[in-house]
Amino acid sequence: MAHQDVLNRETKSSQYPHDPNSYEILNEIGRGCSAIVYKALCTTTCSVVAIKSIDLDRSKTDDFDNIRREAKTMSLLSHPNVLKAHCSFTVGRRLWVVMPFMSAGSIQSIIATSFPNGISESCISIILKETLMGLCYLHDQGHLHRDIKAGNILMDLNGSIKLADFGVSASIYESSSRCLMLNEITGTFYWMAPEVIHSYNGYSYKADIWSFGITALELAQGRPPLSHLPFSESLVMKITKGLRFSDYMKEEEKGNKNPKLSKYFKDMVGLCLDQDPLKRPSATKLLKHYFFKNCKGCDFLVKNLLQGLPSVELRFKEIKIQRVGSISKEQTDDDSEEDIEESFTGSNVKKHRRISGWNFSLNANCDLMDPVFPVGDTIKSSILLDQGGNASSEKEGYIDVGKASSPSAVSSSGGEAVDISFGSNGVDRETVVRSLTTLKKSLDEQRDKVKFMLAMVGAEDTRGNDHNSHGGDNGSKEEHLMQSLFVKVCLLAIYN
Amino acid sequence: MKGLFKSKPKTPVDLVRQTRDLLIFVDSSNSSSSSKDSKRDEKFATLSKVLRELKQILYGNSEAEPVAEACAQLTQEFFKQNTLRLFIICLPKLNLEARKDATQIVANLQRQQVHSRLIACDYLEKNIDLMDILASGYENPDMALHYGAMLRECIRHQSVARYVLESQHMKKFFDFIQLPNFDIAADAAATFKELLTRHKSTVAEFLSKNYDWFFAEYNSKLLESPNYITRRQAIKLLGDMLLDRSNSAVMTRYASSVDNLRILMNLLRESSKSIQIEAFHVFKLFAANQHKPADIVSILVANRSKLLRLFADFKPDKEDEQFEADKAQVVREIAGLEPRET
Repeated sequence: MAHQDVLNRETKSSQYPHDPNSYEILNEIGRGCSAIVYKALCTTTCSVVAIKSIDLDRSKTDDFDNIRREAKTMSLLSHPNVLKAHCSFTVGRRLWVVMPFMSAGSIQSIIATSFPNGISESCISIILKETLMGLCYLHDQGHLHRDIKAGNILMDLNGSIKLADFGVSASIYESSSRCLMLNEITGTFYWMAPEVIHSYNGYSYKADIWSFGITALELAQGRPPLSHLPFSESLVMKITKGLRFSDYMKEEEKGNKNPKLSKYFKDMVGLCLDQDPLKRPSATKLLKHYFFKNCKGCDFLVKNLLQGLPSVELRFKEIKIQRVGSISKEQTDDDSEEDIEESFTGSNVKKHRRISGWNFSLNANCDLMDPVFPVGDTIKSSILLDQGGNASSEKEGYIDVGKASSPSAVSSSGGEAVDISFGSNGVDRETVVRSLTTLKKSLDEQRDKVKFMLAMVGAEDTRGNDHNSHGGDNGSKEEHLMQSLFVKVCLLAIYN
Repeated sequence: MKGLFKSKPKTPVDLVRQTRDLLIFVDSSNSSSSSKDSKRDEKFATLSKVLRELKQILYGNSEAEPVAEACAQLTQEFFKQNTLRLFIICLPKLNLEARKDATQIVANLQRQQVHSRLIACDYLEKNIDLMDILASGYENPDMALHYGAMLRECIRHQSVARYVLESQHMKKFFDFIQLPNFDIAADAAATFKELLTRHKSTVAEFLSKNYDWFFAEYNSKLLESPNYITRRQAIKLLGDMLLDRSNSAVMTRYASSVDNLRILMNLLRESSKSIQIEAFHVFKLFAANQHKPADIVSILVANRSKLLRLFADFKPDKEDEQFEADKAQVVREIAGLEPRET
């Protein structure tokens, strides 16, 4: 009956419309640097879905091939432990990937909310086994995951486990230069295999196995190993050259974190964290490890992990409220960050300009300064640049498809507000004051956010200490850099 | 692998024959859902298994690399008879995993050499109508990605690409790449790009022969599409085509038309930086043309101050020396233009 199943699958999947108006956005449930995840209601199928909205304008053209490949792969995947896309379509400049909504959220967020010191081994073995089965399937199909971590392992209310964020996110994150740094440091860094840090070509199936091992420790300890240390070049060296799993376990046991880890667990993780990729087991082989024998069923997870757990939306909202709001508008957050950084570096403060209209008249004698709008030209409502070159804040001429219901329609106004132009004569004083006030407000918000981050981390007060010990020898410039990196690390950790 | 299941034939040649027999059965079997006969299911299951084994011979697995000799035997047997046609015709009847395996097998076979000949190409030239089935695949959402992948591999052969370029399917691609389904549209766009960039001489010949309808469609349907992705991909591909040395005649023709200039200048004022930058790479051809027609000069002169203002702070996010050099030249050209009598 195999072919029958396929028929069912196809009809099911094609029920999801490729029209943003058929989806009612309910909540924002996640945010990365170029993507936002929403919980939404598909009004034609009356089902709840997750929509990942990815900003395509931030990815380079050369990476379109990657996006295509990954979108294709995602829609051709079919395994109970791999999150599949229902469909994907573009909405203006964003790509919407519609996926099943996993109502318990990521294992990372479950741990962060309810189990800061890690979860029990019986739960770990179930989660890891399910994850590993998904990974076997991916590897068998010739795909790498590239970003295995608890944040990418999702759970449904019935305890079923799916490996997510395969491909699309990875390639898109890679493709945006701005996000590259953030993502590599935060999204993946602590989970990254040594050969991957050394060389970008070194990624193989076995690098996924390394990340899998790190994920195992993450589940057991509540965070990936060494993540309590600040990120720095010296740390990279430590990980790539120094870290042996046995050393790590010693270090952790001294810290008396979770002394009850079984020898099977340690043996399994030890195999994954072999410095030599060739010596690490394949996913299929690893699945036969004793640690995964006699696993309990998924309902065990429901009983032990989901009790009293706030909903995904609430968990995200919690973070959002604490972050002093200001992210209700799409892009606002990133954009203001961008603006501020640019003004710090002193380059490119001005938003780049657009020309409002061309003169296509073949009569060269008409007034050169008068823009001519030929009949039938599709010039959108944009405000003209005045002749002094005074950049009045231009409205985007571009109109999003599905404006009414799509979240992407609420774009830009926040970001555009901070539009300062230097070097032009006729600047209106009032405009400048207004712009500067907005900028100041945005900076204040940033400061508050950073303060909050620091406070959160300061609970253990690792930041200050580590910074002193690391920054001391290399001067304050590096310290400053590390500090800012560290804040970004925190931000992203929370986004996840 | 061999000898694990001694009861079954295991040589590559045997596997291909077994696959062929099974496919003939599948092809003739009535697909009406009322036939719930277990024998049929069994055959489908066997077919899936055999396809997996064929794939392993061609691609190897996590333990073993593919063996050249076995691949050659498999390929030879495969094209000895009409197996590829059976593969393509029966594909819709297979389940998802079998479809993916079959697609990968067909893709791989296009590169296999037997006695240093690509025998897949010889076969396709005699069975070129198969390309019609593959190209029409984009009209069927269930088959599009599989047939699309096969098609893209087949057009690695120049003669096959020429057939597709000159076929009626070419016109349909302008719609396929704007299908609402992103994965299918993107796949069609990749095939389109492959057709228009891979075989230089064939592409140059196609573009000169079909210049009028092709660029009329290209401009109106793609460059002026309301769809952001379509515009962005189209402007990039246009640049790739026109800047290729082998297409210089086409480029000269394109860069002499006011209508084209109008479209490019509108793309220059898009709010998307990526589109602006790509548009610049085509716009520069108009400006740098040493034999600019008078009407083009007039438009450039009429918009001179705005163009110069635009270029004043126009640069890609990443520093790019070539871009700066091009920009400087374009700015010089435009600044030095004299209005001519028309």
